[in-house]
Amino acid sequence: MLSSFRLSMTWVHTWFGLVLGYVLMVCFFFGALSVFDREIDRWAIPETRYEPQPMPSFDSMLLPIFRSIEPEPRSYDYAQGEVQGPLPPRESLAMSDVGAYTTHRDPVLDMYVSFDVPNKPKDANLDHVHAFGYATIDPRSGTVISNDKLKIGSEFFYPLHYSLHLYWKNLGYWLVGMAALTMLAALVTGVVMHRKLLRELFTFRPRKQMRSVLDLHNLTGVAALPFHFFFAFTGLVIFAGIYFPVTSSMFKPQAEAHEKVEELRTGLPHDPAHIAAPLASVDAMVAEAQRRWGERGMPGEVGFLGITHLGDANGYVSVYRAGTDRVTLTGQGIHFRASTGEVIREDPQPSSVAGINDWLTGLHLQHFRHWLLRWLYVLGGLAGCACIATGFVFFVEKRKRQHAKAGASGARWADAMGVTAVTGMLVATGTILVANQLLPGDLPRRGDWEERIFWLAWLLALVHAFWRSAPVAEARLSPAWREQSWVIALLCTAAPVLNWLTTGDHLLKTIAARYWPVAGFDLALLVVATVAVYAARRLGRAERVLVETAGGRGRGSLEAAHA
Amino acid sequence: MPDSLLLGLALLSALCAMGWLALGMNVHWQQVYGNVASSTRTVRIVRVLGACALVVSMLLCLSSDHASIASLVWVMALAAAVFLVAFLLSWRPRWLAWLVPWVRT
Repeated sequence: MLSSFRLSMTWVHTWFGLVLGYVLMVCFFFGALSVFDREIDRWAIPETRYEPQPMPSFDSMLLPIFRSIEPEPRSYDYAQGEVQGPLPPRESLAMSDVGAYTTHRDPVLDMYVSFDVPNKPKDANLDHVHAFGYATIDPRSGTVISNDKLKIGSEFFYPLHYSLHLYWKNLGYWLVGMAALTMLAALVTGVVMHRKLLRELFTFRPRKQMRSVLDLHNLTGVAALPFHFFFAFTGLVIFAGIYFPVTSSMFKPQAEAHEKVEELRTGLPHDPAHIAAPLASVDAMVAEAQRRWGERGMPGEVGFLGITHLGDANGYVSVYRAGTDRVTLTGQGIHFRASTGEVIREDPQPSSVAGINDWLTGLHLQHFRHWLLRWLYVLGGLAGCACIATGFVFFVEKRKRQHAKAGASGARWADAMGVTAVTGMLVATGTILVANQLLPGDLPRRGDWEERIFWLAWLLALVHAFWRSAPVAEARLSPAWREQSWVIALLCTAAPVLNWLTTGDHLLKTIAARYWPVAGFDLALLVVATVAVYAARRLGRAERVLVETAGGRGRGSLEAAHA
Repeated sequence: MPDSLLLGLALLSALCAMGWLALGMNVHWQQVYGNVASSTRTVRIVRVLGACALVVSMLLCLSSDHASIASLVWVMALAAAVFLVAFLLSWRPRWLAWLVPWVRT
């Protein structure tokens, strides 16, 4: 019984791990990059390379900018598709809510506006839909930074790791959710399969061919087990609302009733009164909020500032403290009546359930100020990548000789997909960075081009991986691993050089100025390039050894894991 | 003490802890000292030292950050220490002998 239980665990681990491992690779790698998403933004948009700024004055700077924001054409078109009858002209939609958000790592300020759409939605379950508008500003001067410039870190890599940029029917979120669930299952089944979890905790035998791959798989999986578990689990918690949309389906009446009760309890109006009202000084409200935080012994900066029902008698202003010294995100919210500035409510200390939820989501979303922990998270994420990649390699190494004898092509397919998911992903990442530096600065919808180039590069890597995969069918090593490693080395060297040529910010200058967002990213790229050269050379040697021994036993597995 | 120093010490004691715990295992002891078995007494000493160093690293983490962050730093520091010890054992095992200077070979 025990042996069949273990075999069934092995089956789950192998096949779910293989199929959803490709998705997990994306989650872990781009998740690891997202730890430094704001810093990657600085690298990608040179005009934002200055120090992080606090929330600027609302009355004198933010309000006029909010008033100038129009619905994004894309959001307007989307809203049009959701409602009955033609929408009013884009410029004439009325603002309902506005918000501005910043962290201790943001030189720029993100602002958004949600606009009321008067039309009745097509979906009978919806009361109304909104259209949205966005702006990013330099808070020192109020200059608006064009939305055509893609924030590669926070607008591309970061959403990629949880949505895959597949927004049709939320498909990407569901795939990632499946993958996260698979990760949890793979951890449990992996622990069952391992048997010597603690006895082999420190075991890595690089000179033992197949064993080295499995050792590395176990080491990266077990040493960072808490990280893998908590990030897969908290990722699911964060998007629980998508995976269990009960408040908009089964329990919709209860959810609406709850909102009404909340309104009575908190005094924060759920609906507008439809009576116009002026806006009192928001700066005075911010000062009052900061005074109250100081009284609680936790003075701090503003992380989020929002107005609900702007310009309405029921309007209220919410001021949240930036969560730089806690795991939980923004907190300590204080709410003011927008027309008078009187305090309506101070959020109480979160209940224990809410506190646990805040900690779980906060540890994943990491808005705290802790550079060591950020780097340790990158280590955890890359360990996850190494774990998944060695899983692919082990799958192929274990089967390719039998498949070669039997004339089956399974190992060849799995290997080519592995190349695409591991080195191909890095090729695509390097390409978008190079494209970011090379595309003309004033190109309209520049960001769209960068994204297209990213996907095209990945597609080419896929084609290349399959085209070069023939040796795997003869139980040899695919040269695609080595060739793509060389491409990675080239791209990751080109990116910092191009950064120097286009902006003048070379490493000596950025290090001397201690501007770590750019210096750190340039250095990281050079480290990746060095590792890629090392991996490519080792792979080349392994291919030659294999050719000399004419299909002899492989040594390429370990090197592949390095790539 | 500045936080960076406290955190550096926390990382260092996590590394020592994992090194001692690895030395407490016969297979790794032999990686460091060749085929010389360790005495029962030495095994007990390095295991106790390892456990103590784990606690010390946790206390150092707690002294530099709010407990909610310190718990994360500590767990991740342990992971980093395991990687480092595993790679040292396969690359330069003799270096771990620094952790048990009283042992003569």
